[in-house]
Amino acid sequence: MASRTTKALLSLGRINIPALGLNNAVSRVTYATALSVNSSSSKKGAPERNGRGFGSRKPRREAEGPRTEKMPVDQDWTAVYPAATPFRPGSVPLPVRMGYPVKGGVPPEKKGNLELIKIPNFLHLTPAAIKKHCEALKPFCTEWPSALDTDAKCDEHFPIKVECTDYVSSGLSVRNPSARIVQLKVKLSVLNLDDHARKKMLKLVGERYCKDTDVLTITTDSCPLRQQNYDYAQYLLTVLYHESWKTEAWEAEKTVADMEEYSWEGSPSQKNIMDLLLRMNVAGEGEGEEVREQLLGRSEVQEYKDSVTRLKNEGDNEGSVLQYKEAVKKVFNL
Amino acid sequence: MAASLSSAGTVRLLSALARSSLLCSSSGLRGLHVTAACCKNRAARIRIGKGNKPLTYEQALHPHHIGHRKGWLSQHTSNLKGEDGAADRTVEDVFIRRFMFGTFHGFLANEIVLKRRGNVLIVCAIMLQKMLPQKFYFLIGYSESLLSHLYKCPVKLEIQTLVDKAVYKYI
Repeated sequence: MASRTTKALLSLGRINIPALGLNNAVSRVTYATALSVNSSSSKKGAPERNGRGFGSRKPRREAEGPRTEKMPVDQDWTAVYPAATPFRPGSVPLPVRMGYPVKGGVPPEKKGNLELIKIPNFLHLTPAAIKKHCEALKPFCTEWPSALDTDAKCDEHFPIKVECTDYVSSGLSVRNPSARIVQLKVKLSVLNLDDHARKKMLKLVGERYCKDTDVLTITTDSCPLRQQNYDYAQYLLTVLYHESWKTEAWEAEKTVADMEEYSWEGSPSQKNIMDLLLRMNVAGEGEGEEVREQLLGRSEVQEYKDSVTRLKNEGDNEGSVLQYKEAVKKVFNL
Repeated sequence: MAASLSSAGTVRLLSALARSSLLCSSSGLRGLHVTAACCKNRAARIRIGKGNKPLTYEQALHPHHIGHRKGWLSQHTSNLKGEDGAADRTVEDVFIRRFMFGTFHGFLANEIVLKRRGNVLIVCAIMLQKMLPQKFYFLIGYSESLLSHLYKCPVKLEIQTLVDKAVYKYI
């Protein structure tokens, strides 16, 4: 009977220990041991005895070797390292050595090697693991629309491009204030603007327009949230478009200094050349408007007008200066 | 001439008298010690002994080997260009190291390695097998929950245990 009771107690004890182990099953995954923790059970006997009361049997498990010894060659590695975790020498079946060797020695082994723990490892990103990730993500993905296969088509159908940045960093807070900035880019050629509207739009936006690429960039960061900044940018674009189409009363007071580009009609250059030619031809024909019209119609005068306009708009480069020289020579019949 | 000689002699005599009187007085004498300064670097270095002191890899390699033969014990993005929060992370690091050193007093085989992945703080430590596993589990759970509450972010402890410290060399 005594033996039976002891056997019952023994079985009870054995049930308890696995239960304890099971409670901490999750934590056992993270707390790896180079050698099983129970190997320190030599001191365990005495306190355990007090707790249990029947001290003859000790709930001791033999010290098992590290897990690496029991790993089959064709195991599923994604189950050993499913997520990013520090290096565990008992879980990685590779004879890795890391560190500066002692003189006449070798780099220290992986057991208890802090250097291997310090570095980030990618044991959880083997090609098999990545394939599994892709397979898991596939149901949530949709195909790229086949009609949008060139950049030009994308620009044609989606002319407004909005750019926002997300920031990832390690710290207590996920928020980054720079994530609220929104940048809206659109080509002005896409918008329906006539000459006056285009000039007014350019005057309204000023620096935000790039002449080389014909792109208007609106950057908004005055609101605290990205959604608000996006709405504000859209609102700005709408307002700019409508305002540039409207003509206000005071726009009639536009002076020559406000003009964006040089126009020859009514400029001092036109007056000068007209006077010059009239004085040259004064002996031949009579005065009057018809003479002016005739002179303006002449091809040399047109050429001169083109060359002066080009010089004033484009600036002094070789081509424009040469063109001006040719035009002047023709006008004076040199 | 005779007068000057005698005056020099009296000066010397007076100074000798003064010195002797100073030496005689027990208190108030402070000498100026002038020796060569010993400009040795003592940071994180354990001085050579008789050859019976075991050192771990961390202790054996001096701080100027960091980046060449040693890695970094703490990793986070705050020290990159354009990122902020470096000072906060450093203070957190210092506190966590002291906390772990105190909670697991005498059980740490090596330094604590801190890793930050987004919000999560991962504390990696190597411990000696000197305690009952139940006590280990309790202390680990206690540290995790306390640090999580303190820093309002998930804190994970990754513990490895060794029978005894991994010795790199003997000094």
